[in-house]
Amino acid sequence: MSGWAIEAIELVKKFPRKAAENGDAPKQRKRFFSKKAAPLMFTAVDGVSLQIGQGEIFGLLGPNGAGKSTTIRMLCTLLEPTSGTARINGYDVTRQANQVRASLGAVLGGERSIYWKLTARENLEYFAALYHLPPEIARKRIDELLERVELADRQHDLVEKYSSGMKQRVAIARSMLSRPPILLLDEPTLGLDPQAARRLRELVKELRAEGHTILLTTHYMEEADQLSDRIGIIDGGKIIALDTPQTLKAGVRGTDVIHLEIAGWHQDQEAVLQALPGVSNLISRRTGEEAMHEVSLHAADSRLVLPQVIERVNTNGTHLVNLRVEQPSLEDVFIHLTGKALRD
Amino acid sequence: MQPSAIQPIPPVSLYHTGLLAELRTFWAVVRREWTIFLRYPSWVVAMLVWPVIFPMIYIMSARALAGPQGAGLAVFQLRTGIQDYIGFIAIGTTIWMWQNIVLWDVGFSLRNEQLRGTLEANWMAPARRFSLLLGASAVQMVTMLVFIAVSVLEFGLLYGVRYNGNPLLVLLMLLVCIPSIYGLGIGFASLVIAAKEAHTFVFLLRAMVMIFCGITFPLSVLPGWMQSVASWLPQTYMITGMRLAALGGADFATLWPYIRILLLFGVIWLAIGYTLFAQMERRARRNGTIGHF
Repeated sequence: MSGWAIEAIELVKKFPRKAAENGDAPKQRKRFFSKKAAPLMFTAVDGVSLQIGQGEIFGLLGPNGAGKSTTIRMLCTLLEPTSGTARINGYDVTRQANQVRASLGAVLGGERSIYWKLTARENLEYFAALYHLPPEIARKRIDELLERVELADRQHDLVEKYSSGMKQRVAIARSMLSRPPILLLDEPTLGLDPQAARRLRELVKELRAEGHTILLTTHYMEEADQLSDRIGIIDGGKIIALDTPQTLKAGVRGTDVIHLEIAGWHQDQEAVLQALPGVSNLISRRTGEEAMHEVSLHAADSRLVLPQVIERVNTNGTHLVNLRVEQPSLEDVFIHLTGKALRD
Repeated sequence: MQPSAIQPIPPVSLYHTGLLAELRTFWAVVRREWTIFLRYPSWVVAMLVWPVIFPMIYIMSARALAGPQGAGLAVFQLRTGIQDYIGFIAIGTTIWMWQNIVLWDVGFSLRNEQLRGTLEANWMAPARRFSLLLGASAVQMVTMLVFIAVSVLEFGLLYGVRYNGNPLLVLLMLLVCIPSIYGLGIGFASLVIAAKEAHTFVFLLRAMVMIFCGITFPLSVLPGWMQSVASWLPQTYMITGMRLAALGGADFATLWPYIRILLLFGVIWLAIGYTLFAQMERRARRNGTIGHF
C-alpha cells in the first residue's frame, strides 16, 4: 500500500465522439463488406496523476468541461479508465471496485442524487441498506447525521419540500453514512445561496478536522482557495499546475491585476490594450448592465501602464467607469497559465 | 506533500457483506418503490380502474359480432372449447396488460432512475447493482399480483365471469409466467439504458403479443405462418394455459406441457435479461452513459 488516501497514475479517459460532433471529419462512403472504421475519440482526461494524503482537502479546479467530473467518476468506479490506474484507500478502482465503493462517499449531481418523493430519513435509511449498514447501527448513524446537517426537525418532511441547500445537505449526509475515510464532492455548492454555501464549506472543514480525506471539484476559485490544502488546476483534461493555493499565487506574484469597468466597450479596443508594453492576459466579459464590460489584465507594474490604459480606454465614446488594482487570485493563476478565464 | 500523520478513520468500519446484507438491500429497494408508489394516489386509482376499462372494448365488439341473441357464440365455443367469451377476453387482456406494464415499469426503471439523477448514487454503493434491479422488479411483481387479483374480482363482479378451475393450478400458472415476463423486462431495462428512448420497442413488442398471442381470439383463426411465430412467444402459452386453468377446469396433466415450456422460456429469458444487464453495465462504465440524460 502506498499510504496515499487517493492516488491516480496517468489516468486517461477517452470517449467515442458522437456523429454530430464529427462534422469536420471527411465523410466516408459505407460499403456493406467494408471493415467498420474505428470511431473518432475525444480525450476527456489526459494523463492525470494525483496523490492525496490522508486528512487532506484537495481541490480540483477548472472550467466546465475541463475533466474534473470525469476524473471523479473514474475514482468512484462509475467510469472505467481507458488507461492508467487509480487507488482509493489502497484499493484499485478497476480490480477492487467493491472495496473502493465501500471506502468512499461521494456527492455527484447534488440535490438530484436523492429521492424527492421520500423524506430525508427514508432516503438515509434506504442508502444505509445499500451501504450494508446493520439496522441498529444505521438508526444511530442517521440520527447523528440528521443532527449534524441540521435537519433533525425536518427529517419526516418530503425532500421535494426542501430548499436546494437542504437537499444538498441530505446528499452530503448520504455520502457520510458508512463513515467513509474518503469523500468525493463534485461541485458541492453549485446552485446554493451564499449562506447555504458558507455552511456547507464549514461542514467540509469539520470533516477534514475529523480525519476525512476530501477531494473537491469546483469552478469557484474562492471556494478552492478557502478550503483546499492543495489545488490541482485542470484544463483540457490535463493537470496544468498542482500546489498549495499560496504557492500557486506566489507563482504570479510580481504581477498586478487591473480590473476595469468600461461603458461602450468595443472589441477592437482589446487589441489596442494588449499591444501596450507591460500588459498581458487581457480578458473581457460583459456585465449584467447594458453595454458595460469588465476587463481584467495583468501588468508587471500597474503604476507604469495605468496612464496609458486610461488614455486608450477613454476614446471613441467609451469611458472608464471604475478601476481597481488587486493582488493575483487563483483565477489569475489560471489566466496566467491558460490565457483564458475560468468561467469562459 | 507526504502522506499526513493524522490518524485515519478506520476504513470501511461499518461495511458488512454477505447474503443478509444483499437481502437488506433488496428489501430497501422494495420499501422505497412501494413508498413512492403510494405517494402517487392516481397510480393506485389507475390500478383499480384500468382492468375494467381495457377489456370492455373487446367485450362489446364480441357482443356485436355474436349477432342477435348471441347466435355466433356457438361457433366461438366450437373453435375455443370455452363457453365464457368474456372470461376468454378478460384473461387475454390481463396477461397483455401484465406484460405491457412490466415493459413500462421494469423496462424503464433504470432509465427513470437515470432521469431522476439517482442512478449514479445507487451504483456508487457497494450493493450489487443487479440486486437493485431485482428489487424494483419484485415490487412490480407484487403490485401486478394485486392488480391481477383486483382484475379477477372485478371481472366476476362486473362482467359475471365464472371461474371453474382449481385456484391452486391457476396460481401455479401465474407463478410460471413470472420468469419469462420479468426476464424480458430486465433485458429491456438494459436496452433502454443503452438506447435512451425505447417507446417504439414497447409499442412493437406489445403489438406482437396482441396480434400473435391471441389475446381476444383463438389462435386457430391466424394464418399458418402467424401460428408458427406465436409458438415462439411465451405469452401464447401463458394466455392459453391460463384460460384452460381458470375457465376450462383443466387438471395438472393438461397444464403440464404449458408449465414445462413456460419454465423453459423463463430460464432462457432470465439468462438473456442478466446477460444484457451485465453487458450494459460494462458498456456504461466504458462510455460513461450512466450519468447521461
